[in-house]
Amino acid sequence: MWCTDLRSIAVAIAVARKDLTAEWRTRELVPALAQFVVLALVIANFGFQFDSHNAPAIAPGVLWMALVFAGLVAFGRAFAAEREQASLEAMLLTPAAPAAIFAGKALAAGLLLVICEAVLLPALALFFSVPLSFDVVSAVLLATVGMAVLGCLFAAMVARVRARELLLPLLTLPLWIPFIVVGGQAVQAAMGAGGGTNQATGLLLDLDILFVVLTSLAARFVLDD
Amino acid sequence: MSTIVATALTHRFGSELALDAVDLVVDAGEHLAVLGENGAGKTTLLRILATAARPTSGRLEIFGLDAMAERRRLRARIGFVAHAPGLYPALSATENLEFFCTLQGINRTRVTDVLDLTGLAHVARRPAGKLSRGEQQRLSIGRAVLHDPKLLVLDEPDASLDSDGADLLARVMRGRTAIISTHDHALANRLCQRMLTLRRGRVVGVPTRLRVVH
Repeated sequence: MWCTDLRSIAVAIAVARKDLTAEWRTRELVPALAQFVVLALVIANFGFQFDSHNAPAIAPGVLWMALVFAGLVAFGRAFAAEREQASLEAMLLTPAAPAAIFAGKALAAGLLLVICEAVLLPALALFFSVPLSFDVVSAVLLATVGMAVLGCLFAAMVARVRARELLLPLLTLPLWIPFIVVGGQAVQAAMGAGGGTNQATGLLLDLDILFVVLTSLAARFVLDD
Repeated sequence: MSTIVATALTHRFGSELALDAVDLVVDAGEHLAVLGENGAGKTTLLRILATAARPTSGRLEIFGLDAMAERRRLRARIGFVAHAPGLYPALSATENLEFFCTLQGINRTRVTDVLDLTGLAHVARRPAGKLSRGEQQRLSIGRAVLHDPKLLVLDEPDASLDSDGADLLARVMRGRTAIISTHDHALANRLCQRMLTLRRGRVVGVPTRLRVVH
C-alpha cells in the first residue's frame, strides 16, 4: 500500500517535472500568459473609472477575470499538447496509475498559473493601488488548486474532441463559479472592501479538498476509458 | 502455452465495422506478422492487443489474464510501438527514456542499455524533436522495450527505419512474443514465423506459416 502510494507520488512528480522542463525549454505558454494578464490589467485600467474608494471593489473582479481566462488557456494546453504529440497514450500504456498522471499534469498546470499570478498580483497592486497582503495571495493560491484540478479534468475530457476550445470553457466555467465567488469575497475583504477573510479562505480550502478528491476519483475513467 | 487467445474480437467505429469476429492464438515466443491493405483493421487489432483500445465485443486473454479486466497488470508485460512516436520533443532521448522508467517503476540504469540497443547512444543528449524521423522511431522502439516486456506489439515500425531497421527489429523481438503489422512481405518473412492477412476487418484464410530465414 505504502509502496504503491510512494510510486504514485514519484509518477506525479515525474509528470509535473517533465511538463515544467518542457515549458522552461520551449517557453511557449508562460510568456504569452504573463503578457495576456498584464494586457488585461492595462485594458481594465483604462476601461474602469476607479479611485481610491472603489478600487478595492473593482480590482478583485479584474483579478478573477484575468485568472479565469489565463487558466482556461493553461489547463487547455496541458492535455492538448499531449494529444498532439500522441504521448498521452504512451504514458497511459504503462502500469502508472492514471490518477497519478493526472495529479502530475494538474500540478504542473497549476504551477504555471502560479507563475502568471506572480506577475498578475504585483501588477494589480501597481495599476489599482490596492494592498497586496498575505490574505490576498493565500486566497488566490487556494483558488488555483481547485481551479487547476477541475480545469485539467475537463481539459483531459475534451482533448480528444475537435471543438475542445469551445467545450472547455462551457464545461469548466460553471464549476469554477464557487471559486470565483468565494475567492472574490476573500480578496475584496483582504483589500479592505468589507467582509471576513477567514470564513472565505476556509470555504476555499473546503472546496479544494472536495474537488481534489472528486477529480482524482474521476481521473481514472476520464483518462483510461 | 499461448500468450494471446482472442475470440471473436469485433470493433466498431460508429456504424463502421473495423474488426469482424477475429479469432487469434499466438504462442509464447512466436512472431506473427499482420498484413493487409490500408484500412484493413491492422492498427485496430494491434491497439486492442496492446490494451490501448477496448473491443466492442469478443474476448481477449493475454498471458492467461482477461485483457479487459487486468489492463494495468498486463501493461507491465506489454511493449507497444504505435504509428506516432509519442515522444516529448523538448526532452532529450535520455530524458524521454528516464521519464518512462519512472512510469514503468524500473531502474534508470536500463536507459544506457536501450540507447546502445537502438543505436542512439551518440544522440542521447539531443532533444527528441531534433532527431530524424528514423531516430525518433528507434527511440519509440527503445521505449517499448525499456521494461523488458514479454509481449511486443509493433504497428508498422519499419515505416521510417533505414536499411539497418530490420536488424534492430530482429534484435528487439528476439526472446519475446511479437506481433508486427507491416506492408513489407520480405520483412514479415524475415522476422516472423506466421502471417495473418486482414481484409475489411476479417481474417483472410488461415494464418500462414512463413519460411523462416533467420
